[in-house]
Amino acid sequence: MSDDIESQMRAALRAVAPREEFSQKLVANVTSRQPPARQSRRGAARLHPLAWWFSASLAASVMLAVGVHQHLQQQRLQQSGLEARREVMEALRVTSQKLNLAYEAVRSQSTSLTDEGNSV
Amino acid sequence: MNDDSTDFLDEQLGKARRGERAALTLLVQAHQRSVYSLALRMLGTRDLAEDLTQEVFMQMNGNLRTIDSNRHLGFWLRQVTTNRAIDQLRRRARVQMTSLDDETQLFSTEEASDPLLQRHLRTLLEELSAPARAVLLLRYQEDLDPVEIARTLDMPLNTVKSHLKRSLQSLREKTIGMQPMRCEDRSYE
Amino acid sequence: MRKCISLLLFALLTPALALAAPNPKLAIPSFSALAQKATESVTITLDPGLLGLAAKFLDSSDPQDAATKEVLKGLQGIYVRSYTFDKDSAYQQADIDAVRSQLAAPGWNRLVETHSRKTHADVDIYIMLDHNQAIGLALIASEPRQFTIVNIVGAIDLDKLHKLEGQFGVPKLDIDPSKAQAPPK
Repeated sequence: MSDDIESQMRAALRAVAPREEFSQKLVANVTSRQPPARQSRRGAARLHPLAWWFSASLAASVMLAVGVHQHLQQQRLQQSGLEARREVMEALRVTSQKLNLAYEAVRSQSTSLTDEGNSV
Repeated sequence: MNDDSTDFLDEQLGKARRGERAALTLLVQAHQRSVYSLALRMLGTRDLAEDLTQEVFMQMNGNLRTIDSNRHLGFWLRQVTTNRAIDQLRRRARVQMTSLDDETQLFSTEEASDPLLQRHLRTLLEELSAPARAVLLLRYQEDLDPVEIARTLDMPLNTVKSHLKRSLQSLREKTIGMQPMRCEDRSYE
Repeated sequence: MRKCISLLLFALLTPALALAAPNPKLAIPSFSALAQKATESVTITLDPGLLGLAAKFLDSSDPQDAATKEVLKGLQGIYVRSYTFDKDSAYQQADIDAVRSQLAAPGWNRLVETHSRKTHADVDIYIMLDHNQAIGLALIASEPRQFTIVNIVGAIDLDKLHKLEGQFGVPKLDIDPSKAQAPPK
């Protein structure tokens, strides 16, 4: 019954939750990149309106540029770090797979030597 | 997902776009199971799945302005997760590993599980190409229909149907003797 | 005069001494031609900077990450080249010999040399020792449709590598570094 197989597939492939520690770290990392919600400004200095706007725009532009630059740098660093971590894991995985090949070869050699010894 | 929760998450999406961290937290929590499970079943190990999950949500954070609804967010997350996983699998060497780490829970144990079926499923998943694996997961984990799968993966509809048909056929062959007498196949033509 | 001669001798000998110091980092070719033929390839180059960065993203509360962090301590580099082909004999042994020949240099000691009749895989593992401490590891695995070269540079703690057993499927090899032998010339 294809329906039966399909329902079993659905049951077996139901989404699983990540580890609690990872989940917390994920939320912390993602939300730490979020710019904070805007806060209202009070008590702005009394300047000529034009000068005020000019200074405010200039300051805002500089801060925005610095902020964006820092944010992008952080993001790039974050991505580089995650990529490096992934590469380390992959490197160790490949290494261990080949070590396993050697291990199996050594083990089968010693098994066949034992068999030969017993048969003599 | 019912209408109430959809409306609620649409609202959270709006708030997250305006910078509200609590709203972003809720969105991550709402979608992390789906993203993580896709990543885990595509890539096969927890550490790779966690890395990919984190990358996807970081990318999501940078793209919130382009996402107009929670439904769209779900589509976007599935698309990015499966495409990045497929890319990773294409780059990786084919490693025939028998991991001794049994902690990786690839399959759900929430309902009465069939260990033999799960073993066959694991074998089936390992044998599939990355795109075929993605099709299977989007169908049975995410409950998408073939048209939605084709859109998500940018794959011809006939290819999607072909993958589904072959995968079910393969599973049927592996579990022959375990299942009751065969009925008519559901056609994906 | 005596001082001049001593200085001259020092200046002449220092490069020679530097040359004589064993270098655990292998010169691995780019294999660009083989990479084009391969159906899958893995190219990983992790220098000290990247290893340090990766370590920052490992979670000490996670057992696998913590064990990996321990292995990474003291390492200066990890280099992996692995190529898989869709048919047998797609690569020549000569392709790998450029690397293998470097393992005949002083300092390298063969730890394990295996051949499996079952998988037709040859795996050679070499280590470089400095006062009984492993400072480099080289692994060359060749199978009919795949070859892999791994070079790990730095203070390798084989005990910590063993502790990765159960993570990544690392087996307990029971390898004793003191039994390592110099490769045949």
